[in-house]
Amino acid sequence: MKVNQPMTDVPFIEIEDLHFSRGEHDIFRGVNMTIPRGKVTAIMGPSGTGKTTLLKLIGGQLTPDRGRVLIDGLDVHRLSRKALFALRKRMGMLFQSGALFSDLDVFENVAFPLRVHTDLPDAMIRDLVLLKLQAVGLRGARTLTPAELSGGMARRVALARAVALDPELILYDEPFVGQDPISMGVLVQLIKRLNQALSLTSVVVSHDIKETLSIADHLYLIADGQVVAHGTPQTLDANQDPRVSQFIHGEPDGPVPFHYPAESFYRDILGHASVTRAG
Amino acid sequence: MKRTKTMEFGVGLFMLAGILGLVFLGMRVSGLTLSTPSDTFRLEANFSNIGGLKPRARVTMAGVTVGRVEAIELDTEWYDARVILSLNSELEGQLSRDTTAAILTAGLLGEQYIGLSVGGDPDVLHDGDIIRDTQSALVLEELIQQFVSNMVSS
Amino acid sequence: MQSKLKQGAAYITRLGRQGCEAMEALGRAGVFLAQSAVGIPSKEGWALWLKQLHFVGVLSLAIVLVSGLFIGMVLALQGYTILVDFGAEQALGQMVALSLLRELAPVVAALLFAGRAGSALTAEIGLMKATEQLTSMEMIGVDPLRRVVAPRLWAGFVALPILTVGFSVVGIWGGYLVGVEWLGVFEGSYWGNMQSSVSFINDVGNGMIKSLVFAVVVTWIAVFQGYDLVPTSEGISRATTRTVVYSSLAVLGLDFVLTAVMFGGLS
Repeated sequence: MKVNQPMTDVPFIEIEDLHFSRGEHDIFRGVNMTIPRGKVTAIMGPSGTGKTTLLKLIGGQLTPDRGRVLIDGLDVHRLSRKALFALRKRMGMLFQSGALFSDLDVFENVAFPLRVHTDLPDAMIRDLVLLKLQAVGLRGARTLTPAELSGGMARRVALARAVALDPELILYDEPFVGQDPISMGVLVQLIKRLNQALSLTSVVVSHDIKETLSIADHLYLIADGQVVAHGTPQTLDANQDPRVSQFIHGEPDGPVPFHYPAESFYRDILGHASVTRAG
Repeated sequence: MKRTKTMEFGVGLFMLAGILGLVFLGMRVSGLTLSTPSDTFRLEANFSNIGGLKPRARVTMAGVTVGRVEAIELDTEWYDARVILSLNSELEGQLSRDTTAAILTAGLLGEQYIGLSVGGDPDVLHDGDIIRDTQSALVLEELIQQFVSNMVSS
Repeated sequence: MQSKLKQGAAYITRLGRQGCEAMEALGRAGVFLAQSAVGIPSKEGWALWLKQLHFVGVLSLAIVLVSGLFIGMVLALQGYTILVDFGAEQALGQMVALSLLRELAPVVAALLFAGRAGSALTAEIGLMKATEQLTSMEMIGVDPLRRVVAPRLWAGFVALPILTVGFSVVGIWGGYLVGVEWLGVFEGSYWGNMQSSVSFINDVGNGMIKSLVFAVVVTWIAVFQGYDLVPTSEGISRATTRTVVYSSLAVLGLDFVLTAVMFGGLS
């Protein structure tokens, strides 16, 4: 089987013709992606294009209307509940808010996956947790509760928790949002280092262009429920498609309009004026 | 989790309090007793009318509670009520054979209970014996009827 | 005329939609209860259960006991003034005990429990949902129904009957304080009448059955509202309100049904 193949060109995740809608609102209309093994793949797009939803579809928390997601050859949405939970042990996910368990301290948060999935003795769990906390530079913060951590620290603890079981895949949901420049730099470094040190596959969902371009090996740009472009950072930078260049270069107006859809400004103002005059 | 020990202690106390409370409700409020049936002996008494007497009603002697009504059933031989009493075993062999049992009422509207009074017969009652001399419940309606018919006839 | 008809049809459509949504929610809640209440608790599950029992039980004890004391005292006071007119103040103990055991203790304790513990459960689970703790737990490969919901559910099932017992005991004692110590009812008749009229199976037992039913309903509503809410701060506050409203209504409605079955001669 291809599970043990070390070749990096075999895709780890394949997404085929993915359709998903929420109520009347179509979020994905036929998304196709291949995410290579052992690389950092970034999925970018304007806010509200369903990037987080895509991660949830990959993690099997949402079920698509059509299409399928294969992780290492397994169809995520066809698995039994048990097999799905087993597959999730091989994934880590970093949430936007960190999502640390508020009733456990930092140490117990990182120890949580180890305690529920392994029968390791306490001493070994302690060593492993301290190792992971050392990697994110927070070994000294182990007795703090999540409420006492800053946003950046919480995200680093969450990262330590996500890698506690040495997963093969990490999904990052907006890891840079709302961070000051220093913690942003720390996180960029950590993601890059973890990817190299543990040779895992990373999927980063983000709209922070500079940081994402600096760590990604491969980029997908989604808009209007479809993939509009993909390639290496260099090829995307040079892409002439206005939808791509507007996003990559951060231009305020373009195919993604500045204005929320409305009737013409002229008629809106004038119509209102005539009404007030008449009344 | 350092608070575990005190928390466990608190939960333990909580559950203990629940059990003790249930015991209290059983013993003090519903009057369940742990005394074994061997502490009592049974007598039977037939009444032509028991009025509002209920199982578990008190049986008294000179106003002192000495037992309670165990069961009430219809005696199909005479079509009267057979009442089974269970009395403190201290009284076994103490009550004379001509002891009388009367159904009395506590106050005008109160509950009904059985009062025993001892006679002078040298023979005594034993477990399972029958009290011959009984006095039925006073039924208010009958009294009134009697009173009215007396008035009419006089 | 035409527009009136159309409006009427729209109302009926809306009613139908709400009915469908309500049935759907009920179905979800049923599946939810079945999924989280079954399953053998692990060794760790016991520790989690203990912690929740402490939270919903021990910490609700104070409010329940204080309320029980006052209700018992008020019952004795009100009952005395009525009974004394009939010269039946000896029956005070019986009245206090029966009204507490059959009605007031299960119902009032359940209402207090819904307000104190139920709303807190909803808010807590809702907050865990809003901060993605439940999702992240799922991604770690742990079922939040087992890990978060089940201990709370079972803690609620156990805590409320115990609280109800406490309520009754303290209430009867409160009635004793007012009736015997203050108003001068003879102590022997307070307890004696109580003992001769209260049946352990019929009164204490049925009261416990009631409180067990209320425990299941209130805790179920509370954790389901928390788990099913819209994960925003507005959603949490709405769900908390819904928990208190729904569980109070459910408790009072079920109380009527249970009373009719237990004491109303329906059988």
